[in-house]
Amino acid sequence: MSETVAPTGGKPLDALAEREALAPEPGLGRTIGLVLFSRPSTIVATVVIALFIAIALLAPVIAPYDPLRQSLLQINKPPSWEHWLGTDQFGRDVLSRIIYGSRNSLIFGLLSPLLAAIAGTSLGVVAGYFGGIVDRVISRLIDTLMAFPELLLAILIAAALGGSFWNIVVVLTVAFTPGFARVARASTLAVKQEPYVEAAIASGVRTPLIIIRHVVPNILAPIVVLMTLWSASAIRIEATLSFLGIGTQPPNPSWGNIIRDGLNNMFATQMPIVSGGLAITIVVLAISLIGDAVRDVLDPEISR
Amino acid sequence: MTGPLLEVKDLTVEFGPKRAPIRVVDGVSLTIHPGEAVGVVGESGSGKSITALSILRLVPEPPARVSGSVLFEGRDLMAVPKGQMHRIRGKEIGMIFQEPMSSLNPVMTIGDQIEEAILLHEKMSRAERRARVVDLLRLVGMPDPEQRLGAYPDQFSGGMRQRVMAAVAMACNPKLLIADEPTTALDVTIQAQVLALMLDIRKRFNSAIMLITHDLGVVAEVCERVVVMYAGHVFEEADTRTLFRDSRHPYTQGLLRSVPTLTSTQKRLHQIEGSVPPPGTITAGCPFRPRCSQRMDRCATEMPPLVTHGDGHRAACWATAPKAIAQGEAA
Repeated sequence: MSETVAPTGGKPLDALAEREALAPEPGLGRTIGLVLFSRPSTIVATVVIALFIAIALLAPVIAPYDPLRQSLLQINKPPSWEHWLGTDQFGRDVLSRIIYGSRNSLIFGLLSPLLAAIAGTSLGVVAGYFGGIVDRVISRLIDTLMAFPELLLAILIAAALGGSFWNIVVVLTVAFTPGFARVARASTLAVKQEPYVEAAIASGVRTPLIIIRHVVPNILAPIVVLMTLWSASAIRIEATLSFLGIGTQPPNPSWGNIIRDGLNNMFATQMPIVSGGLAITIVVLAISLIGDAVRDVLDPEISR
Repeated sequence: MTGPLLEVKDLTVEFGPKRAPIRVVDGVSLTIHPGEAVGVVGESGSGKSITALSILRLVPEPPARVSGSVLFEGRDLMAVPKGQMHRIRGKEIGMIFQEPMSSLNPVMTIGDQIEEAILLHEKMSRAERRARVVDLLRLVGMPDPEQRLGAYPDQFSGGMRQRVMAAVAMACNPKLLIADEPTTALDVTIQAQVLALMLDIRKRFNSAIMLITHDLGVVAEVCERVVVMYAGHVFEEADTRTLFRDSRHPYTQGLLRSVPTLTSTQKRLHQIEGSVPPPGTITAGCPFRPRCSQRMDRCATEMPPLVTHGDGHRAACWATAPKAIAQGEAA
């Protein structure tokens, strides 16, 4: 019977080992390159975001005036060489307020999706990996939070806690956590079934390490995509809250409350509304474009 | 000779409701001695993989209910607290899985994955661990191991990944290596290489091997002893030579006739009519009864016990059991 398999016993292993070449590995640099150069629009969007981040970081250096300084002599001025975007009803320089306002908007746009990703992924992975009663408790909690639209939830919490910086961060984080938890839970359920997880358990890896080393790295792609997409939402919602008066509190500038202030003064000068609105539109659009590109590169289902 | 390395006694794995349990493994007993290669053969659904997973307690309980005992060096693994099993897994018993394409973590380099297994069980410095990883890779026949430590699994072919899997399983020099269909997903030339690797591992580490397969040719190549399983039962157990020459179970005989040979002139391969009954559909008697050419009335009501036919040769069949035993059992 043994003639059914080619005899191999006597030969040294090295002779049998195929001298195959390694397949090339696309490194991190190449992946980022793929994201950036997949479409011309992504390059433009990246430049725009980089520009806004630079503006936010360098605000004290590049802003021509103190954004809080009022001047009765300079009320409602149209754009001029002294004030590129004119002044508002208190004589404050609109350009300086937009520049300083970018700090508030961008920090929320980056910080709250990041915190929400950490909180949501932890909850989702725990729910998905352990299942049973743990999963049911967490999932019902998430369902409850998801029943409210993010904006409504944010308004509820902001109205209850007030509009300090950290309150808004907490508000947005809570509002975004359920989405991350859902995605993380679903991905964990899939990854948990993978033979490599079972193989790791069989080689003696304990549960916490299984989760940290074998599950989390394999579910990160959709989480990263979600983070970029929700950065845009975070900026939008922060602007909305500030516009409604429960976000960043005046006189501190944020794009939302620049528009709010401008609305009361719409017939004297339109520059605050227009420039605030444009700033929000440009940044949100740019982040969304980058988010789309990231998704296309990380999602193997979409061919490129 | 020292005592057996692994002694599985009356292992039963059930799923489903307690009132109407579905037995996937039903009273399986098998023994593996130190350094011995034992093949476990059976069709899909015969319970061979679940048996292997039960030894390492990898079958999730619940939903499964596992009973019986698994003595490893005289110590009952079934009685080891769940939190302590990780000391046995990888260290005392290594395992190679069926699918080399998906049994490695795609986002970890192969060097890190092999090192992880060492890190868990041995106290070594980082440099010592790295050196051992390189040694292991060289041992499993990986060319240029130093250069390939930092490569990811998707850069390798299936055969190469199975070598990496073997390196992970052998990282801590386990006394028993369980290989669950290590050659199934590979093409024939690579299969031969992996089998050669198994033999080599055995020779160098002096590990016992439990080789799970549905391929009798693989068994003939590697194993000294064979256990034939069907629908959760052990049907026959013998040393390889005896099994191939003097099988005492109609199922094993059917399997052996189904293997194509280079010299045969027949156009169609022999086949055993029908297929393995779904678990839970046969509750009494012999599960092979509907497909068996030698079935008797008795087979419908009583599962035949394993009857000794010679030195270490046992078979569970009423038709071939010596008359005295068959009648004695009935009386």
